[in-house]
Amino acid sequence: MSANAQPVAPVAPATKSAALLRTDGVSIQFGGLKALTDFRLSIQQGDLQGLIGPNGAGKSTAFNVLTGVYQPSQGEVFVSGTKVNGRKPHQINLLGVARTFQNIRLFRALTALDNVKVACRAQTALHQSRMGVGAKLANAAHNYADWWKALLLTPSFQREERRLTAQAEHLLEVMGLSHRRDEEARNLPYGEQRRLEIARALGSQPRVLLLDEPAAGMNTREKADLMVLIRKLRDDFKLGVLVIEHDMKLVMGICEQITVLDHGETIARGAPAEVRSDRKVIEAYLGDSYLESHGGAA
Amino acid sequence: MESPALSIPEAPSLVPPALRGILPLVIAIPTLALFHWSLTGSDFATYLLSVVGVNIILAVSLNIVNGMTGQFSIGHAGFMAVGAYIAGYTSLQLKEVALSFLPVAASDQVLFLLALLAGGAAAAACGFLVGLPSLRLRGDYLAIVTLGFGEIIRVFVQNTDAFGRALGLSGIPQYSSPGMVFFWVFLVVLAARRLAGSSHGRSLWAIREDEVAAEAMGVDTTGYKVRAFVFSSFFAGIAGGLFAHFVPIINPGSFTFVRSMEIVVMVVLGGLGSTTGAFVAAIFLTLLPEGMRSLFGALGTEGSLAQRVDQIRMPIYGLLLVVLMLSRPQGLFGTKEIWDVLPRWLPRKRRGLA
Ligand SMILES: Nc1ncnc2c1ncn2[C@@H]1O[C@H](COP(=O)(O)OP(=O)(O)O)[C@@H](O)[C@H]1O
Ligand SMILES: [Mg+2]
Repeated sequence: MSANAQPVAPVAPATKSAALLRTDGVSIQFGGLKALTDFRLSIQQGDLQGLIGPNGAGKSTAFNVLTGVYQPSQGEVFVSGTKVNGRKPHQINLLGVARTFQNIRLFRALTALDNVKVACRAQTALHQSRMGVGAKLANAAHNYADWWKALLLTPSFQREERRLTAQAEHLLEVMGLSHRRDEEARNLPYGEQRRLEIARALGSQPRVLLLDEPAAGMNTREKADLMVLIRKLRDDFKLGVLVIEHDMKLVMGICEQITVLDHGETIARGAPAEVRSDRKVIEAYLGDSYLESHGGAA
Repeated sequence: MESPALSIPEAPSLVPPALRGILPLVIAIPTLALFHWSLTGSDFATYLLSVVGVNIILAVSLNIVNGMTGQFSIGHAGFMAVGAYIAGYTSLQLKEVALSFLPVAASDQVLFLLALLAGGAAAAACGFLVGLPSLRLRGDYLAIVTLGFGEIIRVFVQNTDAFGRALGLSGIPQYSSPGMVFFWVFLVVLAARRLAGSSHGRSLWAIREDEVAAEAMGVDTTGYKVRAFVFSSFFAGIAGGLFAHFVPIINPGSFTFVRSMEIVVMVVLGGLGSTTGAFVAAIFLTLLPEGMRSLFGALGTEGSLAQRVDQIRMPIYGLLLVVLMLSRPQGLFGTKEIWDVLPRWLPRKRRGLA
């Protein structure tokens, strides 16, 4: 079984709409471990792409590079044409990339509503990215003045607060969580916590949504429902979506393009049918013994 | 994204929105004035109440950083010292000044307010300088840096002639009064509660709960942490300024590491994140030594034990903290407020943190 490099299908060629999220040969190493090698990706509005691969393949690492949690050792990441290497996660989020986490990271002691409101609010705040000293000072003054508005309960502050509440309530409704509005996030059942993470991500008004194993821990029925919901979110919110999912069958069902990672390398990319029959993918997922006993695939 | 038009519901309330901002002041100021007059005559009660008030300000403000934001600052006495020395020094310099268009008492209070704000602003500036580099990093850097800051301030004062070196500053005009102290107590509690219930406070809670997730959701975590720290330092400076105007002398011995730890114990005892918890714990821990003093005095243990209360105070705090950690690690109220833990038949606020 030589793992000889068959050329992987190229990233979708430049199309009429600029990519919302694009990476260019991104690699990252942890010590000696190459967690991600020459990773390429391009997401447009309306895309629903899958990212699959065995455990430890580097899928979550890819998300962390895309969202600025890790800095790539090589390569570049672009959000709507802006290079974001070296930017902080909150700055990348403000450019329109939101994510969920594989091991749920809700604000556990906050209510469901407040979880979403945190993300809604952040979008209206001014942030420092790369600015001159003058702009930075003006920015800081604005931020401190904003606190005073909250302390004095000015009408504009209260109006803003009501707007955030309404927006967050709407998102809870979209995710079917209205009945949990005032419950602390840590008291929600597992499946609802996953949905709340998506609601929170939507609160930051993203253009690209990255979902890290959103169906993990759900039963088959819940998984199927969630996948339908994700497709609906993409259409209603006009998003580009990238889903990590361990369950291959599930991804095959809804994604239009799939990227397969193994040991940090992209071993296949394409439509579900192509990827499913790809020899290297089967190898990676089922091991050599499967191929031997079944006399090869494809 | 194009979300459908949202209808924004008006929050129902008895108080008209325009008044909501100042209503607490309208109630508080006459109350405090009454409270102030009822005290005149008793020097010790006046002093003790002022100390209680200063400690409440310190504990409630530290709770914003250590409780709501989940950081760990252990140098609050340092910021208090900055406020005390700057405000005290300002008042000393302005001692001969009188605003001719005002009655003397009013003129004094205006100068006092100026001095306090100078102290608060200086402490806030120090908070910014200390916070910006250390809050960029996660973990225990803040603890180490604030600890160092507290000691540096103390050593600096000890070696500065203008601040009276080890002898301290004396002769600062005694402008302060329990009414004034509790006016600031009222302000810091109001500010902390409003912050906790606002979108800014929500971002601070989010940082406390999960910094990585907060950052991923667009919260500028460093910026928020620094603002919380500056805010907290400002009130520590005010507390110091108030303190400087009712004690006969301020010296470096008033702002030691032990003093910082005292405030930390108050916040932990009250429950990290609970404003009213910090409030109650500050009162309790300030009155505790006095209680012990009079208890030992009444027992008649030849006076020596009563005199040594100040020495055995810290071990008692330590013991208290250990018992607390074992029996109720979340503190008295946890992240809740006093009205959330009151008996069921009393009216409650809605659930959640805010
Ligand atoms: N911060 C880190 N430090 C060191 N190694 C890491 C770190 N993050 C991930 N890794 C390693 O990178 C590899 C890929 O991990 P991950 O991206 O989580 O895989 P998965 O595809 O299951 O999501 C694993 O071997 C993991 O141990
Ligand atoms: Mg993973």
